[in-house]
Amino acid sequence: MTRTGAFIEFRSLAKIFSDHRGRRTPVVEPLSLTVAEGEFVVFVGPSGCGKTTVMRLVGGLETPTSGEVLIKGRKVEGPSREKGMVFQSYSSFPWLTVFGNVRFGLKYRRDLPPAEKDRIARRYLDLVGLTAFADFYISRISGGMRQRVAIARTLAADPLVLLMDEPFGALDALTRERLQLQLLQLRNAEGKTVIFVTHDVDEAVFLADRIIVFSARPARVLRDVRVSEVLPRDRTMEVMETAPFRKLRREVLALIRDEETRTEAGTTEANF
Amino acid sequence: MFAFRAAPQADLELWLGIAAFIFVLAVWQLVAGLGLVHPQFLPSPLAVVSAWLALVENAGYLTDVGISIARVWVAFLAAALLAVPLGVLMSGYRAVGAFSEPLIDFIRYLPVPALVPLTLIWLGIGEGSKMALLWIGTFFQLVLLVADDARRVPKEFIETGRTLGAGDLALMKDVLLRAMLPNMVDSLRITLGWCWTYLLVAEIVASSSGIGYELWTARRYGKTPEVFAGILTIGVIGLVSDQAIRLLHRRAFRYLV
Repeated sequence: MTRTGAFIEFRSLAKIFSDHRGRRTPVVEPLSLTVAEGEFVVFVGPSGCGKTTVMRLVGGLETPTSGEVLIKGRKVEGPSREKGMVFQSYSSFPWLTVFGNVRFGLKYRRDLPPAEKDRIARRYLDLVGLTAFADFYISRISGGMRQRVAIARTLAADPLVLLMDEPFGALDALTRERLQLQLLQLRNAEGKTVIFVTHDVDEAVFLADRIIVFSARPARVLRDVRVSEVLPRDRTMEVMETAPFRKLRREVLALIRDEETRTEAGTTEANF
Repeated sequence: MFAFRAAPQADLELWLGIAAFIFVLAVWQLVAGLGLVHPQFLPSPLAVVSAWLALVENAGYLTDVGISIARVWVAFLAAALLAVPLGVLMSGYRAVGAFSEPLIDFIRYLPVPALVPLTLIWLGIGEGSKMALLWIGTFFQLVLLVADDARRVPKEFIETGRTLGAGDLALMKDVLLRAMLPNMVDSLRITLGWCWTYLLVAEIVASSSGIGYELWTARRYGKTPEVFAGILTIGVIGLVSDQAIRLLHRRAFRYLV
């Protein structure tokens, strides 16, 4: 294993999508970036900018057109248990109970005996506060609980990096706040490296050690905002009322707004 | 219950379903009883029932029913046994889909009766040709339905499985099949119904046993009550198997509600 100092390293990572007519759309410009171990990095940017694609490239769910992503010095080639993923929806399996879903995160770990898997699954179920709902099927629990199931399941698999694609995007405001807080606590307890995609700037500033603001498509880094230099690591909802938070929020929002108005003048078909 | 998209009421719905049968039977009895139509065309329900009882008693009709049911299930299971794995592979591997889908689509559009002469030439009038006919009629429909069921599984399920460390085989077994199972059981139920249609074609054209054969024989001798008895038998078997599978579906997939 070659240590390069960085935990995750993007090396001139680029992605071009080709449609059925062979028209090529660059989605990610050659991108170089490093993420430190234990860092909570949030990707924001105008909608359709390619931030999700960047994250999927880290997860091995997309193949780069050129360049590469290294995790602990090893090149990402396809999805694996080392890159845990939480999606916005359809995250939990309806045919399994809450416990069954969390236990599924350990299904393909041959190194653990079944009793140990049960123990770990129960621990993560407890960490997300769903022990009382262990035997419920997914259709019986709320959207917020479903996302907690998905998070517990992903953490139970013990990935090197946790990739979250707008996991709270479909939830109501109060539930979202509760889950954001819980996610921070979990992260502090587990020390996982997290890459989190969102279009909600409040969420980004609240969660992040570092925000990467992407340009409109093709994605390139507009600014690298070191939130942890300004905000404390242990955060409560009250931090959102403080001046540094508001200032950061304003800055990031302005960047995205400018970017959106800049591109609206150029192209009309921004999304696909 | 009578409002648009009202809440379900299981027992009332059951009674409404039964009422529909009673209604049709009543109208039928009325029309036949009043002598509005000659019995040669429309025998009364009672005449049909007594014809059915006579068939069972004198002609070993239940053996024919048993033979027909056995034919359908053997051919249907043989079709499903191949269609399910192939359908899953077609959806999972683009090469398999690209290779087999156009061909299957082509065969699927051939009306089964059009294949009867060929199966007779190749396999004679024994069980072989009937099995082949039923299998062809069912397999090519089912495999495409199964492939579609597999394709409708959300991408997120597959990607979740992958990021939790599942290999191809584990992914198909533990995620894809489990996720598509409720829809697939529906596809199986629907194709089982089609399989019955082909059975009747096969038994009418080339057979010396089975419900279809008895039906056709009755027609030849102008025994309208027996014809009705045959039709009703098929209907009852269809209704019972369909409802049985629906019940099984509800029991097995409780997690959906």
